[in-house]
Amino acid sequence: MAAAAATHLSVRAAPALRLRGKGTCRLLSCYASSSPPPPSSGEGFSGKVGFLGLGIMGAPMASNLIKAGCDVTVWNRTKSKCDPLLSLGAKYESSPANVALSCDVTFAMLADPESAVEVACGANGAAQGMAPGKGYVDVSTVDTATSKLIGKHITSTGASFLEAPVSGSKKPAEDGLLIFLTAGDDSLYNRVAPLLDVMGKSRFFLGDVGNGAAMKLVVNMVMGSMMVSFSEGVLLSEKVGLDPNTLVEVISQGAISAPMFSLKGPSMVKAAYPTAFPLKHQQKDLRLALALAESVSQSIPTVAAANELYKVAKSLGLADQDFSAVIEALKAKEQNPQP
Amino acid sequence: MEVGFLGLGIMGKAMAANLLRHGFRVTVWNRTLSKCQELVALGATVGETPAAVVAKCRYTIAMLSDPIAALSVVFDKNGVLEQIGNGKGYVDMSTVDAATSSKISEAVKQKGGAFLEAPVSGSKKPAEDGQLVILAAGDKALYDDMVPAFDILGKKSFFLGEIGNGAKMKLVVNMIMGSMMNALSEGLSLADNSGLSPQTLLDVLDLGAIANPMFKLKGPSMLKGSYNPAFPLKHQQKDMRLALSLGDENAVSMPVAAASNEAFKKARSLELGDLDFSAVYEVLKGGGSSQA
Repeated sequence: MAAAAATHLSVRAAPALRLRGKGTCRLLSCYASSSPPPPSSGEGFSGKVGFLGLGIMGAPMASNLIKAGCDVTVWNRTKSKCDPLLSLGAKYESSPANVALSCDVTFAMLADPESAVEVACGANGAAQGMAPGKGYVDVSTVDTATSKLIGKHITSTGASFLEAPVSGSKKPAEDGLLIFLTAGDDSLYNRVAPLLDVMGKSRFFLGDVGNGAAMKLVVNMVMGSMMVSFSEGVLLSEKVGLDPNTLVEVISQGAISAPMFSLKGPSMVKAAYPTAFPLKHQQKDLRLALALAESVSQSIPTVAAANELYKVAKSLGLADQDFSAVIEALKAKEQNPQP
Repeated sequence: MEVGFLGLGIMGKAMAANLLRHGFRVTVWNRTLSKCQELVALGATVGETPAAVVAKCRYTIAMLSDPIAALSVVFDKNGVLEQIGNGKGYVDMSTVDAATSSKISEAVKQKGGAFLEAPVSGSKKPAEDGQLVILAAGDKALYDDMVPAFDILGKKSFFLGEIGNGAKMKLVVNMIMGSMMNALSEGLSLADNSGLSPQTLLDVLDLGAIANPMFKLKGPSMLKGSYNPAFPLKHQQKDMRLALSLGDENAVSMPVAAASNEAFKKARSLELGDLDFSAVYEVLKGGGSSQA
């Protein structure tokens, strides 16, 4: 039951000064005087950065790197998704292998374990372009076994590997306010710290590969369970004649006030679920968390109950809606649900 | 302003003390009369029975632990009903089910008195600091009269309309809170059993979208196994039970609340009922083993 050694750094999401150099991404960030500057400040990151996967998260993350002055090369399974990044100045390569070949460090942001493995280890996968001196940073959310598998493929080429799943969804990605939960090669972690600081507000190094993945799953399982509890409350309040908007206001005044409730509550009351974090990914995370819990025989009853509801929501055609759409699973089922 | 105050437990004692410190004249009563002495030292007078308190005061506040106590103080011999009448107001700040509140309301009104239910969100420290959130419903004129007291006791008051609405709102909030405590406990347990630092989990949670004061306050003491009761587990379980009943009456699906209630029941069976409700962690914690 040894606690993983964790180092943690919080940085202010202040605007970064960009000094362009050839193939160099120099980042000087401003910090409040009370916070000590991180070890990497003033050094910046030298080299070319690859970015695989330009979905809801990948696109704003890559875009933030480009805006900070980094030399970025992108790839996405659907090529057209690269266009906005190309118009910001990114280069394009036709496969993960070619991106890895042409870059010093390559990031990957894929939707699930299957695509993360495919992109890293599949035909023309990133591993084929890896070599000593290069690094691969997988920011996808996967299970520990998948992360270890990807790690092995990468490190067998002589390259270094860092798992670095993030906490935070679309808006934090856009605003550069993600929280990185990293584990693996600590030299690679220190090397890419300036890049993490562009994309995020906080970063943790949690030790061996698997620890970052596990931490992310635990965080998201708490969140997934909380969203269902909140949904139960919103529905119950409506059914007994209370104004659910008043419930949201009462909650915001007390001990259980959380940004997620204030942010999503009002739209949930209106049955609107604009996608910041797709429900199918939340359910994937719960599934993986339940497997993790099973591997150590840990009982997690509210998570198990919550998972059932996300499955129901998927069956109602809500997989691509925001995960707050799980509230629909608690309502009486409709004959012809709106997707 | 002068008020009566019935019930000097964890909440009542702090609330009565707060009123006294802000210049209110307060007449107190408690089932165990000796508990009144601390308030007497702060300037309170003592009523021998709930009826005696109501006889003396135009407004009387009650803060009892559960529906049984709330009903007893009103309906038993020497209870509130013996002296309540025209021109007097009764304000029950206990957390009870809507039916209990209605029953009390009807009886008080029948005697000519005015009734306000006003359960609170917030536990011991917010009570001491006058930072409660007050969820009132019932007689609007009585609510308006009580605003000076509510302003001392709390940071915000809501008037939610007809009798029952305050009780229901409180139960819904506490249902969510009880479930969140279970989610946190499950997370901390899984982190611990997976070789992660539970403290690091708390740090990560505090940075993101699900950061909340309860996790921040209770997380560290849970990890130390310290459960001084700010909100006794047995009361939290009572609230879960009442919320589930409300759900039953209205056919509302509440699977996570039901799962949470099971954990609180288990905790009570393990004699953890008088500890803080965060002691439910002990139930989840036991259910795992480290990987070899």
